[in-house]
Amino acid sequence: MRKYETFFIVDPDLPDETNSALDNKVQSIIASNGGEVLTFVPWGKRKLAYAIRKRTRGLYVLMEYAGGSQLVAELERNLRIDDRILKFITVMLEERFDPERERERRAQAAVVPFVEDEESSEVPLGGGEEEEMPEDFADEGLKDEE
Amino acid sequence: MMTVRRKRRTFARRKICRFCVDSDLRIDYKDSKTLRYFVTERGKIVPRRISGNCAKHQRVLTLAIKRARQIALLPYTAIHML
Repeated sequence: MRKYETFFIVDPDLPDETNSALDNKVQSIIASNGGEVLTFVPWGKRKLAYAIRKRTRGLYVLMEYAGGSQLVAELERNLRIDDRILKFITVMLEERFDPERERERRAQAAVVPFVEDEESSEVPLGGGEEEEMPEDFADEGLKDEE
Repeated sequence: MMTVRRKRRTFARRKICRFCVDSDLRIDYKDSKTLRYFVTERGKIVPRRISGNCAKHQRVLTLAIKRARQIALLPYTAIHML
């Protein structure tokens, strides 16, 4: 058993019922493939850095779970088929999943999911960069060409 | 002083790796606010010699930025408005 997290973007224009149905579907895939959902946190709607299937915003959902590699393959296959999912990424968090350690961690951090509000996520790129870059930045051939 | 100086001797202040100084600061691909600081306006990853990161953290950071791009938290490049 390994610990994974899958971060996926759901179509933001869906009604709430479809959304919860989708949540259930994703969670049931994990349950039926011998996995265990640890956390399931919707991050709310955020602006996308680039358009995906012509949509400029998306509903982000972060899910942590324990399971094997077949589970990940099966889950990703389903996510790929589903039209409501715009994009996803799966990252392995731990090579060996230890339920004991997980319980301790959850006891420590009284899970406060960090949800950025939409406005703050639209901060322009490269904020506060001026200070970082010396004047001879351009001399080093790194200037962004127009 | 000479009007044209070929070789400039710039005295940059000693750069320090932010992630080494502050060990609480974790590099996470989901934390786009922190990552944005290490990306140019055009979306390029700021090199180590500019940002001052150590090699170890720059490697982790680069991976995090690339993951963030995959999930549309960071842009691959500046978006061209139509």
